[in-house]
Amino acid sequence: MESRWRSWLREPLVHFLLIGLLLFLVLGRSGTGHPEGYSIRIDDDQIARIAANWERTWQRPPTAEELDRLIDGFVREEIYFREALRLGLDEDDIVIRRRLRSKMEFLARASVESEAPDDSVLQQWLDDHPETYAADAVMTFDQIYLGEDGEEADIRAALENGTDPQELSATTRLPFSMAGASRSAVERQFGEAFAGAIDAELIGEWQGPVQSGFGAHLVRLRAYDAGQTPTLADVRQRVENDWRDATAAQREEEAFALLRSAYSVEIEGRD
Amino acid sequence: MMKSRFHKGGGMLALSAMLLSACQSGEQTPTPEELAMSPDGGTTACPSQVLWGDTHLHTSNSVDAVFNGVRLTAEDALRFARGDEVRSTTGLDAQLSRPLDFLVVSDHAEVIGIGRRIADGDPELISDPTVRRWHEMMNESYAQSTRAARELIVGYAQDTLPEILADPDIARETITSTWAEHVETVERYNDPGTFTSFIGYEYTSMPTGNNLHRVVMYRDGLDVFGETLPFPANQSQDPEDLWAYLAAYEERTGGRAMAIPHNANLSNGLMFAMEDFEGNALTRDYAERRQRWEPIVEVTQFKGDGEAHPSLSPDDEFADFGNTGWDTANLDASIPKEPGMFEGEYARAALQRGLLLESLLGVNPFQFGMIGATDSHTALATGDEDNYFGKFVSDEPNATRAAHSIGASIRGRLGWQYLAGGYAGVWAGANSRAAIFDAMARREVYATTGPRMTVRMFAGWDLEDADLSADPCSLYDRAVPMGGNLSGTGDAPRFLVTAMMDPEGANLDRVQIVKGWLDSDGELQERVYDIAWGDADTRSVDDDGRLAPVGNTVDLEAATYENSIGDPELSAVWTDPDFDPAERAFYYVRVIEIPTPRWPVYDRLRFGAEISEGTELVSQERAYSSPVWYSPEA
Repeated sequence: MESRWRSWLREPLVHFLLIGLLLFLVLGRSGTGHPEGYSIRIDDDQIARIAANWERTWQRPPTAEELDRLIDGFVREEIYFREALRLGLDEDDIVIRRRLRSKMEFLARASVESEAPDDSVLQQWLDDHPETYAADAVMTFDQIYLGEDGEEADIRAALENGTDPQELSATTRLPFSMAGASRSAVERQFGEAFAGAIDAELIGEWQGPVQSGFGAHLVRLRAYDAGQTPTLADVRQRVENDWRDATAAQREEEAFALLRSAYSVEIEGRD
Repeated sequence: MMKSRFHKGGGMLALSAMLLSACQSGEQTPTPEELAMSPDGGTTACPSQVLWGDTHLHTSNSVDAVFNGVRLTAEDALRFARGDEVRSTTGLDAQLSRPLDFLVVSDHAEVIGIGRRIADGDPELISDPTVRRWHEMMNESYAQSTRAARELIVGYAQDTLPEILADPDIARETITSTWAEHVETVERYNDPGTFTSFIGYEYTSMPTGNNLHRVVMYRDGLDVFGETLPFPANQSQDPEDLWAYLAAYEERTGGRAMAIPHNANLSNGLMFAMEDFEGNALTRDYAERRQRWEPIVEVTQFKGDGEAHPSLSPDDEFADFGNTGWDTANLDASIPKEPGMFEGEYARAALQRGLLLESLLGVNPFQFGMIGATDSHTALATGDEDNYFGKFVSDEPNATRAAHSIGASIRGRLGWQYLAGGYAGVWAGANSRAAIFDAMARREVYATTGPRMTVRMFAGWDLEDADLSADPCSLYDRAVPMGGNLSGTGDAPRFLVTAMMDPEGANLDRVQIVKGWLDSDGELQERVYDIAWGDADTRSVDDDGRLAPVGNTVDLEAATYENSIGDPELSAVWTDPDFDPAERAFYYVRVIEIPTPRWPVYDRLRFGAEISEGTELVSQERAYSSPVWYSPEA
């Protein structure tokens, strides 16, 4: 607990907030201040204005989720704005209003830039997001392209008779086989729909017809390995990039939460 | 005589050594990652698949982009290009339908980063009243910010910018800190085998508003590049000075760089002029340097398509693509075009000029390959009609961007005239800086107007239909790929061409070969040949040599099309029927898709966007390969 406080105290953003607090305490309520102080109320009229603004661009009302996000954005801006007033800035200055928010966001990010995360932090991130870093599934398969004239029934009959599958494929530059190919490599050749439609459980038999951008195929899956989670060493730079990007947002959230905790926010229609 | 693509010795040795060690470790062949991380970056491996990327992209580090509202950084741009979802400056969730394989973030070198300092209200800068006014406009609204951007572009083009922006100390400090951070970010996102990020910038030469811009791209990583700084056009507008700077870089570091011109269509004839920047006649030495430093040209992007123009190619029914709005004036529309300028602008005419200059100088200065790019200033490298985020933030998806005028000072240009951008297709041995750069240097690359069609070409003396089913890797010993050179004395060259649709996209209408040559009277000629086409059982060539059109399945209300016309794949081995061994020539492939909706149609569907009269709603997207050149044996 104690070391957590120490690391907090080192952060530039916290310094910024402390300076603001100090100014407030020493100088009192300088500047015009906003009459409502620490209470924010978003009434139905305000919500309607926010929604109407959206609708002008998108020609449709926002969904409930979009509206929530817009309202939250409005509240956030209001809080930063009032904090700016407490620092003695001009109430009507829209430029200052926006700048302060971006300034504080910048400070939050800057505090993260200079940190070198250690392996345990990054390993935790990797463990928490296995799907993001999981290597692609790897598959080995053959495919018979039906082309314009191929009939599935005829092809299956010929296969039963022992005809070489490669002879049954219509002319195409698509490969007859892919061996040990990652899912992205398969998507690159055949398109996303094809890779997604292959049934990983059906090993050894001709499944289909499976659609690609090129048409229909019968596919014989020979091997399928689900993607493995790599070790930290394999993907360290990627993990670090993602951790930085996400943590910057998180730090900003934490700093904002600190500010927000001083406010009571009431939004009509929300509990 | 032709050069074998694979050098015996060094490269093969490295590859063999690596394969040997792979065998010893019990594996069959190296994985894409292993190949990309091998000592030579996999550059000598046979290209087995085409890699896709954008070489021309701007972020908030570019002065004009940030003035136009963008707040996304190079990091956002790299994440978006590699496939992540990113929130656009206007708050929209944006994601590519498929990741790109590489990206060059190419912010304008000229006082890089200063726009952001103005936006942030740096006290030193806003002491100047014009800069202060711009600062306020930038933060007030996108509309005002766009106006400020317009003033900035005009000021820069006309050399009337506020003095403080030219202050060397301010400039130096801004440039070095911005650039250092930028290069460090690019380095962090370079992921050999998966996604390649290149160090690069844009050299923004535009004398009196005539576009001579080049994107500069480095083969090297930070370890070689070190503390090199970009070369800005305010130091010199003459591209030869840029080349000298790059030569000094290579000499000093042992690294490699190239310059990629774009928007010749807005240069008012200067980009491929018969004289140099000073107005002197071109020399052999100039030609050698131009070939060396500028092996490829970006011929299609948001600001129009520069492959061909109907006034230069009246017999080419597909020449009128992406010209409207861009063929009347220069970049800032300060100077209208005059007759005779197109010949120095459009790629086909420039390639022809190159043949003429080769006959005069002994070396062809305009021997360039072709790529496409976006030139996005939103930091989002989108090249797809159904995912078009606009050139500037003011053009991010909204209901008015298609119909509005680009700006009062940019005469006669309307929003819909922007194309949804292109991409570069690269036949590289691996997804690494070395392999991709080298493929561009040898011109084994092609342009598309967005869709990811697979296009491959080999040219040789003994290619036959049977070779269509051969492994392409076996063809490098007998033929040259796109971007290569042939010279001979007798037989007509043969071209093996294969084209496959974008698996997520539209069928193909036809494959063409465009031939340009210098005839025995010293006249430049051109001809377009249809060499393969879809629905061949029902489409034929009429008595005038015209192939019947493929048809049109576009539903304008639903913004859809059907792949019930055209073919998913087309290929042919074609011999030049009009070959004359005494005439130097070039041949490039052009692949045309069936008609598909343009981005304004999606805007109308999604936002009820206003579509003004004259808006082009449907187009046939296309690919242009790099040429193969033929010269008579000396």
